[in-house]
Amino acid sequence: MSARRRSINLGFDRFSGLYLWALFILVFSIWTPSLFLTSATLHSVASQEAIAAMLGIAVLIPLVAGAYDLSVGSVINLSTVMVVILQTQNHWNMWMAMLVAVGVSIVVGAFNGFVVVKLRVNSFIATLGMATVVTAVQEIVSGQNQPLPPVSHAWNALTQTKVLGFQIVVVYLLVLAIIAWWVLEHTPVGRYLYAVGGNVEAARLSGVDVDRWTWLSMIASGTIAGIAGVFYASLTGPSLTFGGSLLLPAFAAAFLGSTQLKPGRFNVWGSMIAIYVLATGVKGLQLITGVQWLNDMFNGVALVGAVAFAVWRQRVAGNKSASGERVEAPPEAVDPGVTGAAPVPVAAPSGHGSGTGSDPTSV
Amino acid sequence: MEGVTSPTGDSERGAANGPHPALHLRSVSKTFAGTPALSAFDLTILPGEIHALVGENGSGKSTIIKILAGYHRPDPGGEVLVSGERLVWGSAESSAALGCRFVHQDLGLVDSSSILDNLFFGGGFTCRFGMVMDRATTAAARDLLAQVGLDVDPRRLVATLSPAQRTAVAVARALKDTTRSGAVKLMVFDEPTATLPDNEVHQLLATIRAVAARGTGVLYVTHRLDEIFTLATNVTVLRDGKKVATVPVASIDRPKLVRLLVGSEFDDAHAESVAAHTEHGQPILEVEGLTAPRIDGISFTARPGDIIGIAGITGSGRETLLGTIFGAHARTGGHVTMNGVAVRSARPAQAMRSGMAYLPPDRKISGGVMTLTARENISLSGVRMFWRAPWLRRRMERNEVWSWFERLEIRPHRVDADLASFSGGNQQKILFAKWLRLGPKLFLLDEPTQGVDVGAKAQLHHQLLEAAANETTVILSSSDVDELVAICHRVLVLRNGRIVADLSKGDITAARISSESLGVGAPTRDREVAVS
Repeated sequence: MSARRRSINLGFDRFSGLYLWALFILVFSIWTPSLFLTSATLHSVASQEAIAAMLGIAVLIPLVAGAYDLSVGSVINLSTVMVVILQTQNHWNMWMAMLVAVGVSIVVGAFNGFVVVKLRVNSFIATLGMATVVTAVQEIVSGQNQPLPPVSHAWNALTQTKVLGFQIVVVYLLVLAIIAWWVLEHTPVGRYLYAVGGNVEAARLSGVDVDRWTWLSMIASGTIAGIAGVFYASLTGPSLTFGGSLLLPAFAAAFLGSTQLKPGRFNVWGSMIAIYVLATGVKGLQLITGVQWLNDMFNGVALVGAVAFAVWRQRVAGNKSASGERVEAPPEAVDPGVTGAAPVPVAAPSGHGSGTGSDPTSV
Repeated sequence: MEGVTSPTGDSERGAANGPHPALHLRSVSKTFAGTPALSAFDLTILPGEIHALVGENGSGKSTIIKILAGYHRPDPGGEVLVSGERLVWGSAESSAALGCRFVHQDLGLVDSSSILDNLFFGGGFTCRFGMVMDRATTAAARDLLAQVGLDVDPRRLVATLSPAQRTAVAVARALKDTTRSGAVKLMVFDEPTATLPDNEVHQLLATIRAVAARGTGVLYVTHRLDEIFTLATNVTVLRDGKKVATVPVASIDRPKLVRLLVGSEFDDAHAESVAAHTEHGQPILEVEGLTAPRIDGISFTARPGDIIGIAGITGSGRETLLGTIFGAHARTGGHVTMNGVAVRSARPAQAMRSGMAYLPPDRKISGGVMTLTARENISLSGVRMFWRAPWLRRRMERNEVWSWFERLEIRPHRVDADLASFSGGNQQKILFAKWLRLGPKLFLLDEPTQGVDVGAKAQLHHQLLEAAANETTVILSSSDVDELVAICHRVLVLRNGRIVADLSKGDITAARISSESLGVGAPTRDREVAVS
């Protein structure tokens, strides 16, 4: 029985997202080639999802360190509104407005870190509360009126300049993803973050400054959310409420991504694949059916499905290690991701520094 | 897969006359994905016999237990007879019906309930009109507890019992349904003493003897060799899924048993190194008036090359002393000075900079990051040395980790496998490598070989001796007295948070350590006689 399961996992475990992506493209290309198989579809999917993907990276970094940041949806809203209002109502220079919008987001991230690290509040609770506070601040700033978009060529060009047919925001995403990948995979900082997320106490006893890295991960997520907010304002114009609707796709991408490429670990490229596979599926179905609810349906199902799949895999791995002392015996036949009994990140973010130590998912 | 295995027990019923062995395994094999875990294994246990089963991690012990429990189906060919009746393979029901019972490390008791409730949760409360009849049930419980030599009020909460008493309750529960399935024929104990404090082991061994005295065959799986000599009649040694030997305990001594286990000459060089060690040089570590919860003013110094053991019963301060010195736990008073520099409370990073290394007692909880690879765990404490902007040099890192895999013989040779996928002994070697790599001046170890098989244990000891020979100070705290006797130059015995004895050289004996741990004049464990 176990042998059969292993042979399936050999091919489809780590790269299932890529297979699925290929399948989507194939099916929709055959089904509706005139609508789907165009460069316009490619370009629009790429830039439509760029902001959500940035937010995916924002939530990913604290998740790696074992903390949730639920405030990014509000932060991106606040950043969008601020960067617009400072330009249209206060007549600030575009760059100054951007700087201040991102700066405020950094402050929010730092405050998140303070509450989690110093006040020892569970990150899930801390950032949930912060999300609400930030929403209130945004209402104060905007007076609950959607501001008009700034009229300036430079402002639109910031994200909409074409590069090889893509809007330049896609390039920004790529740069951001490369930086995040570099930090997480190729610097000591990344190691520390993964260690903190894997086992806070073991990391601390290995000399890792757990508090500092947790704090910095929250600052990083706030910063990235702020930057994403600025880009959103330039790309699609101001909105008061879009951030909330991006929060779930961001987490879906991070969790789905943790089943890809490096199963059992949150990773940047896995998340990027996840977000674009979902987007391709949604886009194809929308082109065919024309209904609008697909996006929510897809993301919700994907999030729960990804987590269920990850938990199932964890259980399979657990059974396997319980099924004899020789789990590690046949090395070549086994995909390390499967036998490794690796706790999937789904269960991992145990809320560093939480006062109660409770699992955020049970809150 | 269904139907390949043997017919039911009824049709294969053995001859009714003549006594059957409690357990008889004939040519039982089990293969996992092409790798044999157990090959043509034979075993016979007579009623009332206590049969010890030993082997390193991965030698096939748990495979045997799981076959007996009906969890694994063995390969076709062999057979298992319990009191003459054939076990239906892969059927837990058959195993239970034939009278096999299992006591695992995890006892499965509900702490917040009474002994009584724990005994009868599975059914068997004496009831009338739907009400539990307390008096009758209590009497039945007393009777059951008496059978395992436990004289406590069955209404007590399980949480108030000592670990050995809890194990006894679990045994009593296992014996309970004698009436339903005939007598319990075979009782399997899977490392019941692994997590037991030293001073409670003999209580549990008495319970096991009581079980055997009823005529039940006992299969006793353990890592602790000394228990075999006090308890068992016969011992079977497993190595790499094969039976090496079954011998009467009376005809074998400890070194011979160890040789059977590891299959080669046991490294006894450490005895010489201990004898050769002389204290010299300036103290590298000075602990003065250290206080913390359960630690009540401890002072001592250590010199380069010392191997110092910390002994004491659970609750004596032994478990937290080293962690407090290193800064894993905060201290409430006192000073720790390392190489003349004050080490602050609860600052592991600073302690590391001063040259300390600390191996925590529990690999899963605080020792290793199970979700990271062996390579990442080994390099975690000093990952910066592989950093050459803008990249972490993976090849450099991998090469170094490889060399540690070679040096400590870590198996399997997969540096990029998750830590969780290694066996306990190999995980511990990996965590040793993590610290040895830094070349610490002071290496603090809490329970360094707990749950580690004999072969790995010898290797880890060898590493400690080698480190000490290179002027590293080694301090290890262990509940395994034999371990302290084997490698320490000096042993500090703690009682109630204070050092009550500072033993060196000839004074370091298991008997002396045990009696000092328990207080002067307290009886030592009976095993001392048998071990030596």
